[in-house]
Amino acid sequence: MSAQLADDELLITRDFDAPASLLFTLWSDPVHFRTWMGPEGYDCPNAEIDFRIGGRYRGMIRSKDHGDSWFGGEYREIERPTRLVFTWKWDTGPSGEVETLVTITFREHGDGKTTMTFHQTPFISVARRDSHIGGWNSLFNKLAAYAAEQQAK
Amino acid sequence: MQTEDHLSATLFALADPTRRAILERLSRGEATVNEIAAPFEISLPAVSRHLKVLEGAGLISRGRDAQWRPCRLEIASLKGVDDWLAYYRRFWTGSFDKMDAYIATLKDKKDKK
Repeated sequence: MSAQLADDELLITRDFDAPASLLFTLWSDPVHFRTWMGPEGYDCPNAEIDFRIGGRYRGMIRSKDHGDSWFGGEYREIERPTRLVFTWKWDTGPSGEVETLVTITFREHGDGKTTMTFHQTPFISVARRDSHIGGWNSLFNKLAAYAAEQQAK
Repeated sequence: MQTEDHLSATLFALADPTRRAILERLSRGEATVNEIAAPFEISLPAVSRHLKVLEGAGLISRGRDAQWRPCRLEIASLKGVDDWLAYYRRFWTGSFDKMDAYIATLKDKKDKK
């Protein structure tokens, strides 16, 4: 097989030309949330957000080709405007049934730009996730190297 | 493409440091239960239980030789995890592209005021 193994769970770091407070609002206010949720070709016609620790959110993205996809979860940590932790689960689809934990941090720079770090794992509790990050990374690195070796044979 | 249950089984099997260490050991080559157990301070039955979980998830296979039954890594079963990650990566990076564009329109409105 081709060795396209990921080297981590899912970690996306991105700089935005906006203050942390605005980015935080884009995640927490359903009016803003609906404007950007879902990749190109998808709309987000439905989003309800009960923004408090233990509160739930629920939304749906729609595309011509793929129809409606519902998702939802629960807020675990809210530290405006630097940190947001929530669970995420699709109702159906290839990733349905697996509840994941999303951790987002916002680090504002002096020039009005903010670095957003997005982290998602299949572990549903922060403690379990944190205790596993190192091991999982190193495992995938080694397996990827191993797969490359096997291919070369 | 693996089924949903298969992905859950794979993720569950990976969600344990001992089992990941076992996979790491097997990535260096086949090994018997005794060889696998050597570096761990846990009993042989405990190692066997971990191997059963890994085998159930298709992450390892075991030889037919009744006495030794060497374990080997089945790296293809990690494809399901890889697909899962790839799906999420596309989903979020696409959404963040839209977030970026939306921020630009917000700034635009503000500038025009």
